[in-house]
Amino acid sequence: MNNDRLEKILLYIFLTALLILWIAPFFIVILTALRTQNDLLTNGVFSIPENIIFDNILNAWNKGNMSTYYRNSIVLTLLKVPTGVIIASLVAFPLAKWKFKFKEPLFILFLIGLAVPIHVTLLPNTITLSKLNLLNTLPGLFFPYIAFGLPMQILILRGFFSTIPNAFLEAAYIDGASEFIVYRRIMLPLAKPAIAALVIMDFLATWNEFTMALIFIHSEQWKTVPLGLMGLQGQFSSNYPTVMAATLVAIIPVILIYILLQRFFVTGLGGGIKG
Amino acid sequence: MDFKKGNMSLKRLLFILPALLIYLVFMVYPMVRSLIISLHKWDGLSPEMDFIGIKNYIDFFKDPVSYTVLKNNLLLMIVLLIVPVILGLVLAVALNKKLPGRIVYRTIYYSPYVLPMVAVGLIWSWIYDPMFGALNSILKSVGLGQYVQGWLGQPSTAFPAILVTIIWRSVGMPMLLFLAGLQDISPQLYESAEIDGANKFQQFIYITIPQLKQSFAIVISLLIVGSLKQAFGIVYAMTWGGPGRSTQILSVWMYFNTFLYEKAGYGSAIAWIMTIIAMLIIIPYIRIMTKNT
Repeated sequence: MNNDRLEKILLYIFLTALLILWIAPFFIVILTALRTQNDLLTNGVFSIPENIIFDNILNAWNKGNMSTYYRNSIVLTLLKVPTGVIIASLVAFPLAKWKFKFKEPLFILFLIGLAVPIHVTLLPNTITLSKLNLLNTLPGLFFPYIAFGLPMQILILRGFFSTIPNAFLEAAYIDGASEFIVYRRIMLPLAKPAIAALVIMDFLATWNEFTMALIFIHSEQWKTVPLGLMGLQGQFSSNYPTVMAATLVAIIPVILIYILLQRFFVTGLGGGIKG
Repeated sequence: MDFKKGNMSLKRLLFILPALLIYLVFMVYPMVRSLIISLHKWDGLSPEMDFIGIKNYIDFFKDPVSYTVLKNNLLLMIVLLIVPVILGLVLAVALNKKLPGRIVYRTIYYSPYVLPMVAVGLIWSWIYDPMFGALNSILKSVGLGQYVQGWLGQPSTAFPAILVTIIWRSVGMPMLLFLAGLQDISPQLYESAEIDGANKFQQFIYITIPQLKQSFAIVISLLIVGSLKQAFGIVYAMTWGGPGRSTQILSVWMYFNTFLYEKAGYGSAIAWIMTIIAMLIIIPYIRIMTKNT
């Protein structure tokens, strides 16, 4: 028996066994979401559904208010993600290419944010937001979300900008280009792969954020998807098909983005490491 | 060259100000304010705060609940540093070979990492459901009916059940980072080792592991900081810290005290204890990142 082949077969058995464990929870969600409660309780999770139905999904969407949560999450994500990445790229340019006083301390100040658990800011931010009349509104999530996205985005973008040769910039300055033109015409286009990765990673982080939403949002009409999903579990607690249908609806966007755009992910993470 | 000069015009400040302002108002200032609150006895609402020095911190270390909380956080950290690191490394090495279908494997192992924590918590709560859950159904169907139990309803199994959930979510992250690290190792290193007569295992110990040093540093710091921050949604959705206080962790306990028990000073002290732990871990990482450039 060829040793290499045996090794390969054993490797596949191991990888596949693990694959089944890893994918099973997704199947359980689908198998639960697409059948009636009655069918589930009499035949068990692992049986083939008697009928494939979409009533639970409609139920979660309408009665469970998923449509409202979706609207809020989409609006918030569409506004927050591009704004956050642009603001981070603006400050990453000076941090990578200029010389000025307090450059190093400024960079370290932003990096410290990597370690800060959001929990330490929750109560003071609640007080600030209520003074600004932003508590329980989507803009009330927008600003803290931007603040928490900045450290990682600045770290990665500064790393990318540093690798752009100074000669490119010097040539542009000799031609009389302003700092903004250099940023807009040289830095941004060359950092495209990093920006794409950051946009995707930030989309996931924003769509998934739960802790701040839990503290800052109270009314049904402004809840985001994770917060709404949590509330829906309370409302439908033992109606497993509806809870799993809502879960399915909540995770479809992140799964789709992940599967379609995963090549950016790998390069983005890699870029972050190499700094 | 002009752009290397040290002076800062108003136009140039516009690059820095938006990020700096938002960051100062919603990150730096709240941290300082939270530290001040942690030195007071305060319910979080009334206008008066009583200054009590570090009494909240002393109370934390006197309270027996704190030991359950710290024990759970420590256990979570240790388990995360062992299982996902080893499994992630094994998977990365396996998937670094030119196996057909390896992208499918990689995609699926990493996929739980992109889900919202609350969704992960709800999915696994359903798997662990005492009456109809998948885990008990499997046990019954393979003749292990005597092990059927309410996994999240009893202190002996609730926290281990949460750990399994977090492992399921986390393994893909180290795998992907190790894969990126492996692809940067020069094949020549292995070729010359082969000529010197090193076997596969020796190559792994003396080439692969040392070459992955940077990946290890990042994986370990991300997992440790993640163990402090990210378990919140999972514990919140699965057990709410119960039964009793058996699955309570720092982040959820901080939330309970600050927002449910009206002990804002005490809750802020817990938040600062978390912050100090995270800082101690991340500072070496920051030093590596700043030294590189």
